[in-house]
Amino acid sequence: MIEFDHVSFSYGAKRVLKELNFSIGPAERVAILGGSGDGKTTILKIILGLIKPDSGRVLIDGEDITTRDEDDLREARMKFSMVFQEGALFDSLTVKENVAFCLREYTHLSEEEIEEKVRGILSTVGVESAMRLMPEELSGGMHRRVALARSLVAFDPKMFLYDEPTTGLDPINADNICRLIIDLAHNGKGFIVVTHKVIDALKVAKRFLFLKNGTLFFDGGRDELMTAADPDIRLFISELSCGTDTQGAGILSQGGRNV
Amino acid sequence: MHGRGNTIGLRLRELIYDLQDFYLLSFRGSLGIVSKPFYFKDTIEQMDYAGAGSFLIIVLISLFVGMALSLQLSAELSTLGLKMYTGKVVGISIIRELGPVVVAVVYAGRVGSGIASELGSMVLGHQVDTLRVFGVDPTKKLVTPRIVSALLMVPVLTIIGDAVSLLGGYYIAVNVGHQSGTFYWSSIREVLNFENVFTGILKPFVFGYLIACICCFMGLSARGGSVGMRQSTTRAVVFSMIFIVITDFVLTRALLYILGFSI
Repeated sequence: MIEFDHVSFSYGAKRVLKELNFSIGPAERVAILGGSGDGKTTILKIILGLIKPDSGRVLIDGEDITTRDEDDLREARMKFSMVFQEGALFDSLTVKENVAFCLREYTHLSEEEIEEKVRGILSTVGVESAMRLMPEELSGGMHRRVALARSLVAFDPKMFLYDEPTTGLDPINADNICRLIIDLAHNGKGFIVVTHKVIDALKVAKRFLFLKNGTLFFDGGRDELMTAADPDIRLFISELSCGTDTQGAGILSQGGRNV
Repeated sequence: MHGRGNTIGLRLRELIYDLQDFYLLSFRGSLGIVSKPFYFKDTIEQMDYAGAGSFLIIVLISLFVGMALSLQLSAELSTLGLKMYTGKVVGISIIRELGPVVVAVVYAGRVGSGIASELGSMVLGHQVDTLRVFGVDPTKKLVTPRIVSALLMVPVLTIIGDAVSLLGGYYIAVNVGHQSGTFYWSSIREVLNFENVFTGILKPFVFGYLIACICCFMGLSARGGSVGMRQSTTRAVVFSMIFIVITDFVLTRALLYILGFSI
């Protein structure tokens, strides 16, 4: 589904991605880990064609999207559903209008049909009661849930992309979002979660990519990640062994949640 | 020295790229006026924010500009024994020059800064990227309604501002300058000829278009968090004002020539 072929990218003089090579299948559940500024979000933006790499090719279902212009990228983007960091809800629209955005843009549904559909999707993510609220009235967890709901309405995506879906949330809300991510990945749909929270990555993903200084430093499964010897990866994993983090310790003791 | 040359070269290249992006955005934003999809609701919302929202401040500022101008001219012209020309000079100054420029500057400060900060925050909050992911062209959705709104609202506000300024001028001319109100209005009627009205109406269209394009471009170019947004908002207002006064001079020179005024 997604193939990165020697992809490099720079923000001005700062080289963020260096000759990145990997491929991800449509049903895979992948977590991209790494420190801040290591290019995790940049990878998602490149997949969606929001930014073009300096060099290399990005193949989506075998087609190179790096040579396409903005108008031709729409078809490729419709294969994905993206939830940006902190939701990226439209500030001037209510929750209902945010979720109904694509319905209004691309369908001719009546107001009653839109209301019914939006209500149904919001109840799926557990925020039906927030339908009339404005984004600024939502808590962090509700914000992410509404963003998830909006991404579901968009199209019938083959794959979900999540940018730091649990950052800034308390453990209970973060856990709820992780459950939603797993629940939404049914019918063989895969997802890519970009995060720096190993604990949440372990809850949802089966394959882990670890970025370091713009290169793919690690690519493997849960067991390989947990036994990796690299000090940077060990530092990330040490989050799990913090005495206060009973949830993380639980995951460790079980060898990870079976998803 | 070599490093400094490189820096200048880089900046020059950035400037050229920025200009290219600006022209492209302005062109695509303008093209959106005549190509589908049309975002009527967004356009009406922008017109409400820009037009109705600016009404009171335009009235207030125009009133005092007209009063101050009339006061200055009454004082100066009376020393020359030409006080009866106050209405005529106030009328020409307001309709041809001050009205369009004052309204455009106020519009840039109030609406332009709002456009730049709103779009900047949408860029930084990934809302613009979300639009692109949803297959919606941000230029058509965000820029075109603001251009249409400015094209319609700046001239309307200018007409309102001109009228209020002339009223302010009338109040001072009659109550402070002790002139005849009837004579004041007959002088104003004299200057409401095609040349002056055409000049006074054409300028706001151009100013409105420039303000909308500059502020949308600056907003959509915002980078780097709150500091970046502050810079883009400041740049939007500063560049708008600079371009308003430069364009005003160029238009004035061109219109004087085209309309056959002798200098």
